[in-house]
Amino acid sequence: MNEPKKHAEARWQRVLASLLYGHHVDRNVKAKARLGLAVVAFAGIFSVIALRLVMFAATSEGHGGRRGVAQDAVATARPDILDRNGEILATDIKTPSLFAEPRKIIDVDEAVELLTAVLPDLDGNEVRERLSSKRGFVWLKREITPSQQLEIHRLGIPGIGFLTENKRIYPNGPVVSHELGHVNIDNQGIAGIEKWLDGQGLAALHMAGLATDQLQRPVDLAVDLRVQYALRDELIAARDKYRAKASAGVIADVNTGEIIAMVSEPDFDPNNPREATDPNRLNRLTTGVYEMGSTFKALTLAMALDSGRVSLSSSFDARMPLRYGKFEIHDFHAQKRVLSVPEIFTYSSNIGTARMALSLGVDYHKAFLKKLGQLDRLRTELPESAEPLVPKHWGELNTVTIAFGHGLSVAPLQAVMGISALVNGGKMIPPTFLKRNQPEAERLAQRVIKSETAEKMRYLMRLNVEKGTATRANVAGYYVGGKTGTSEKVVGGRYSKTKVLTSFTAILPADKPRYLLLIMLDEPQGLPETHGFTTSGWNAVPVGALVIERVAPLLDIAPRYDLPKADQMLLVSAKETR
Amino acid sequence: MRLLNILVIGVLILAASFVYKIKFDSTLQAERVAKLRGELRREGNAIAVLRAEWAKLDAPGRIQGLADRHLALQPVKASQFDKLNKLPEKPPTVVPSPNNDPIGAMLVPAPDTTGSVPPPAARRPQ
Repeated sequence: MNEPKKHAEARWQRVLASLLYGHHVDRNVKAKARLGLAVVAFAGIFSVIALRLVMFAATSEGHGGRRGVAQDAVATARPDILDRNGEILATDIKTPSLFAEPRKIIDVDEAVELLTAVLPDLDGNEVRERLSSKRGFVWLKREITPSQQLEIHRLGIPGIGFLTENKRIYPNGPVVSHELGHVNIDNQGIAGIEKWLDGQGLAALHMAGLATDQLQRPVDLAVDLRVQYALRDELIAARDKYRAKASAGVIADVNTGEIIAMVSEPDFDPNNPREATDPNRLNRLTTGVYEMGSTFKALTLAMALDSGRVSLSSSFDARMPLRYGKFEIHDFHAQKRVLSVPEIFTYSSNIGTARMALSLGVDYHKAFLKKLGQLDRLRTELPESAEPLVPKHWGELNTVTIAFGHGLSVAPLQAVMGISALVNGGKMIPPTFLKRNQPEAERLAQRVIKSETAEKMRYLMRLNVEKGTATRANVAGYYVGGKTGTSEKVVGGRYSKTKVLTSFTAILPADKPRYLLLIMLDEPQGLPETHGFTTSGWNAVPVGALVIERVAPLLDIAPRYDLPKADQMLLVSAKETR
Repeated sequence: MRLLNILVIGVLILAASFVYKIKFDSTLQAERVAKLRGELRREGNAIAVLRAEWAKLDAPGRIQGLADRHLALQPVKASQFDKLNKLPEKPPTVVPSPNNDPIGAMLVPAPDTTGSVPPPAARRPQ
């Protein structure tokens, strides 16, 4: 009776066993396998723990290292800005800044007393207010001197500390102001290249607190500090001499579009950004728009010559003033005869250029100026730019006036880009303030006129210096070419006869231009020396000559004295191209 | 078996002391690294200050002011430049005279050789 029960029990167990681990399993083998599995599992866990320990030991740094990172994070470092020869234009230095943790301060009155004793320019009431607040962190004074830091440290006030911050330094002061722009107290770019830098991802780095001194490559600008200084020096002298409201100048490399120097007087000292907000100190070359006057005739002539419908031997009637509706266009240097194309350029004939533009039609004129980028806002690295003032309804009268540079206001830098394209062989290259090499410029270049037209433009520019309106710019040895421009300023809706904007655009050297110089004077006054004249030939041109004489050796242009007259130059180049 | 145990214990102690030594060394090295880093940062900051100062001292405006005040130099004119190949020939090198009196040798006029006066070698036989 007991027997079957036992049997049944064994059977029940067998069923359970078969459910758990099958019928025909040797339990000894099974146990061994399990043991092995456990060994492997524990070995795995222990090795992970060991590995983690090794990792902690290897990666954790000393206490000092970690503190350094925290300090750098507060300091929003910026890369150095260098000129094309590696001279420093802007750099960071470390300065201590004083902060307080109001919650940790025991005696506010004592702290205020001691601090104002060391830092007399600190406002006592303000400090008291800040220290009494419930905040965890307040700045007391940014950018103190190391000796002040030492004194405050010796006071031993609890809850007062120092953080090292970066302070932006511009060693050259106002010399390169408009290009560089400036930064605020938190070392964030506010204007110019500094702001552009922030747009290049630096701002994001600052936000993340990762902008440390490491991994920041200096920025190379195209500007040449020596040239910039010389240009500025001459422009300041010119502004004083002609009692002009403002003076401005650009030197650009016509083959790469680099801006070698750019000055707009009056300027400001980026070390003192408060000056920069004065509207009189704005950068007239990029943020101002002006009617460029006769300088624009170069564009009109290039258009006419490039169309193939006008050649250098064509002539236009300039006997009478050009009547258009109730308007009458006069010539300043009126010749009262039929003028050839070179004569129109050298006498700066308004009538001739107007007729030339009319002969090609309004649409052609508009399309050409569009192609040369004179109708759209010019964008460079500088965040400041101005939209050109283009007439809404562009009729024949507009073409007539725009042909000689009135009725269309452009940023002077835009005109520089357009004229560079006319003389460098016909390729339009967007201007840049950063260093650029020839192949890069070639990639960006767009052909806008034929290279033969460019040859003719060089010839005309040179001719104008030899026997035109710009003879005072004929600096011996440098083969300068150029075009003058005098535009009457609009005062109260009318063109003023006395307030003028004079400009001079020079190419250097004229046979194979490398640099383009633009000089602009705003409201120059007549002097006894200029016989009371205020036209460009009497002020902007001599200034241009002074600048060229001073700057050409810096730009590596060797003087040559064996150069042909302009007329022969065209023959020579014609032979070369054939 | 006992021998094996003793051996293993011995190896264990050796290994532990070795690991301790390595750890101690590495702590020392880490401290040195941290110290050097701090020094590097200080030096880097000092260099930045010196560079800024140099740039300030080297600014063209300052140099021009100094030059105007202390030097009688004038700006270079275009006519003062010339090409290297237009330079005159290098002057002939002066051979020092054997009697060790260079000034005296310069004072003695060289024998004139013209159309009527033959060179000294030709004169000797007479």
